[in-house]
Amino acid sequence: MPSAKDIIRKFTELKTLPHVAIKVTQLVNDDHSTMQDFEEIIKLDPVLVTRLLRLVNSPYFALSQKVESISKAVVFAGMRQLRNLVAVESLRGMFKGDGVDFSPQKLWLHSATVAILSGMIAKRIFGKDGDDVFLAGIIHDIGLIVENQIAGEQLREACRAFREGKGTLPECERAAIGTDHAEVGYLLAKDWGLPQEVLSSIKSHHLAKQVKSVSSTGSILQLAEFMAGKMQYFHMPGPLEPLAPELAAHVKQRMSDYKIIIRDLPGEMVMAKELYESDD
Amino acid sequence: MSEPTFDDIFDELIDPNEELQSFLMSLDALLPEALLLLVSDAGTLFEGVRPLVLSPSLREQLVRQAKGIDGFVAGKMDNGGGCHAVYLVKLSAVLIISCAAAPAEDWRPDSSITTLLHNTLDLALYRQEREMLVAEHEQSVRQISILQQQHGKLVEDNFRQYRLNQEREKEYARKLESEIAKQTAELREANVRLEEISRLKSDFLANMSHELRTPMNAIIGFSELLTETSLTEEQYDYTRTITQSATSLLTLINDILDLAKIEAGKLELERLPFDLAEVIGNVAAMFKIPAREKGVSVTSRIDSRIPKKIMGDSNRLRQILINLVGNAMKFTERGGIDIQVDYEREAAGRIVSRFSVRDSGIGIPPDRVEAIFEKFTQADGSTTRKYGGTGLGLAICLQLVELMGGHLAVASEVGKGSTFYFVIPLEEASAEAISLKEHKGTGRVKGATGGRILLVEDNAVNQRLAGILITREGYEIEVASDGAESLEHLQSQSFDLVLMDVQMPNMDGMEATRRIRAIEADPLQRQNYVGLRARKEPLVIVGLTAHARKEDELACYEAGMNGFLTKPIIKAKLAMILSEMMPRLSCLEHKDPS
Repeated sequence: MPSAKDIIRKFTELKTLPHVAIKVTQLVNDDHSTMQDFEEIIKLDPVLVTRLLRLVNSPYFALSQKVESISKAVVFAGMRQLRNLVAVESLRGMFKGDGVDFSPQKLWLHSATVAILSGMIAKRIFGKDGDDVFLAGIIHDIGLIVENQIAGEQLREACRAFREGKGTLPECERAAIGTDHAEVGYLLAKDWGLPQEVLSSIKSHHLAKQVKSVSSTGSILQLAEFMAGKMQYFHMPGPLEPLAPELAAHVKQRMSDYKIIIRDLPGEMVMAKELYESDD
Repeated sequence: MSEPTFDDIFDELIDPNEELQSFLMSLDALLPEALLLLVSDAGTLFEGVRPLVLSPSLREQLVRQAKGIDGFVAGKMDNGGGCHAVYLVKLSAVLIISCAAAPAEDWRPDSSITTLLHNTLDLALYRQEREMLVAEHEQSVRQISILQQQHGKLVEDNFRQYRLNQEREKEYARKLESEIAKQTAELREANVRLEEISRLKSDFLANMSHELRTPMNAIIGFSELLTETSLTEEQYDYTRTITQSATSLLTLINDILDLAKIEAGKLELERLPFDLAEVIGNVAAMFKIPAREKGVSVTSRIDSRIPKKIMGDSNRLRQILINLVGNAMKFTERGGIDIQVDYEREAAGRIVSRFSVRDSGIGIPPDRVEAIFEKFTQADGSTTRKYGGTGLGLAICLQLVELMGGHLAVASEVGKGSTFYFVIPLEEASAEAISLKEHKGTGRVKGATGGRILLVEDNAVNQRLAGILITREGYEIEVASDGAESLEHLQSQSFDLVLMDVQMPNMDGMEATRRIRAIEADPLQRQNYVGLRARKEPLVIVGLTAHARKEDELACYEAGMNGFLTKPIIKAKLAMILSEMMPRLSCLEHKDPS
């Protein structure tokens, strides 16, 4: 049985994360980076420039004026927003294809929904900026894509077992593949150099028992994952994992808040459709 | 598919009784004197803080009646008190209420009590909706505060980037500066190297001039001497040709060396008083003979406003004019050549004057005018073959005129002639400067001959030539072949004058001169030198050198020499300097005892 590390090693032999995604993440972490550095890195890929500008100018960001250059995007949207968009564009291409047992394109819609919901919860309920949470949402299931590339047959086997109620998805994965997508995704994001909060939230997004603080990135991700699953924005049919008691208590306490978020989500999804809609 | 609601998503969290209980709690708070009972459609009973106790029959009756109508139905309790029931559609439950403060007769529809009660019920029923509005407002406030924070962060970050860019620019400027400094240093170093090379080149030229002039000295000197011996006419002709050719070769060598000197920036103009009319007259006189042979006239004129005595370099001025007149003569077959000096204006105490040499010669085509000032170029290639010349003359004139602060130009018309002209500022010589020069001139008694001369010269040919020339002038001569030998001669003999070659093996002329001066200054040593001990004045020493450079001349004076003569030795020059330098008195003293 291969370990998560073996899976990642095989994956990086096949294809790597786009250089630009890693470089941009480094720039965000660097106190000495400027918009010119972003511009220089990103403009090496003219297609990426076009796509990023389209995203930045989408209704989701509601900028007061049209942005026509990467450096301006840094000025108006900030470095971390731009990092998120580079991630979206870097990953979009990997989530292609459909299938009965496992559908990457459905997973992409699920990821975008979780990202948008996470952002809403972070901002509207906890009053904290949703950039890191959004990124966590976009990449939390990247492990499934990696497994699909390296051990596609075993993954489909795990998905079937999950659908038939033979355990949680990670349990079925471990039985069929030897590791699970939370572990694999965590390692990939680590190679990417993403913030620690984001890493641990990916690792724990199926571990309902490990809720530390309700407002942590991991908790928000679990809440968003649960809600997206209930709203049919799930990537595969199968029994939903129950919400951790702490989180359930929190929702009950803030019922009005969650009612508003659920009411407003469809509108947000429409505004953000450039994020998750396929461009072909 | 319709959008899922909160209840769909969090169905497990929803307790259907919870809403009824929370309604009852709100109403309890709103109606502190009322007794409350809530009966759900399912028949579940919910009691308020102050429970209303009813018999099951009455309760069932009230529930039934209330569900049938819109509004309150009244009932009579066992204790005689009244109570009222109303069906709440939103909660699917019947509310039964009893309040002692409100008498039964007030419960009719439209009474103020029933209206008030309806409003109170609504208030309790829509508590959740109100909470939603409050929550929505709070979410907006949170989102606005995040936007503010993000905006603040963006501004901060943009400022940080601005500062970074500024620093980067500064760093770039610093790098640029140090790069420039480095390159400047490299250039300076290269410049020093170039100067060194240039100095070596000019030293080489100076040495070359020595090597070239020494044999020229012999050729000219001996061919001149040869013409004075008894020769056949044929032999005389040949000898004259040798003299003339050697003289023009010497001119060419001098031209080349001059140009090299000018280009190396080594040429310095003299500043001595001279008579301008004399210089112009000399130049015109020089061309009298060829002019007469060709049948052209040479005239000259100087504006009367130009002072007679001028401060400057008469030799260089003469050189320019000789060149220009020589050119004019070369290219003019009929008509005349006119030398003019015109007054132009006075500026800063100087008289700006225009020198022009006009001829009626072949002229220069306009497209060749520029080329004639170039080195080694004449108006066209065929000119060289027909008229001869090196083409160096004009280039030298051009440079000399520029050194004098002017510019040489030409106006010419093919077939009619050319006018070469230059405008330079002339400085009038002060009376002081003139008298100084004249005093120098009268310091010696001229015209005297006789006396003993010690010639110190290593080259045998030059020894012979100088020997003949000196003897002809009426002097006795003794020869020493280097500096050491000259000292030996001075130990046993007296001389009136020493002609000291500068460049010699063993002990050179400079060293020998310095030693002679040292011996003269030391009374003890002097006793050992017959040639020095009896003298009242220092021995006259005239340097002989092929180097015509100013610094060579200075070096001679520094070593203690009294005069200076350049090689090749020209008869006239030698005679002049000997008669000038030969001390009249000592000569007599020397002759007296003999």
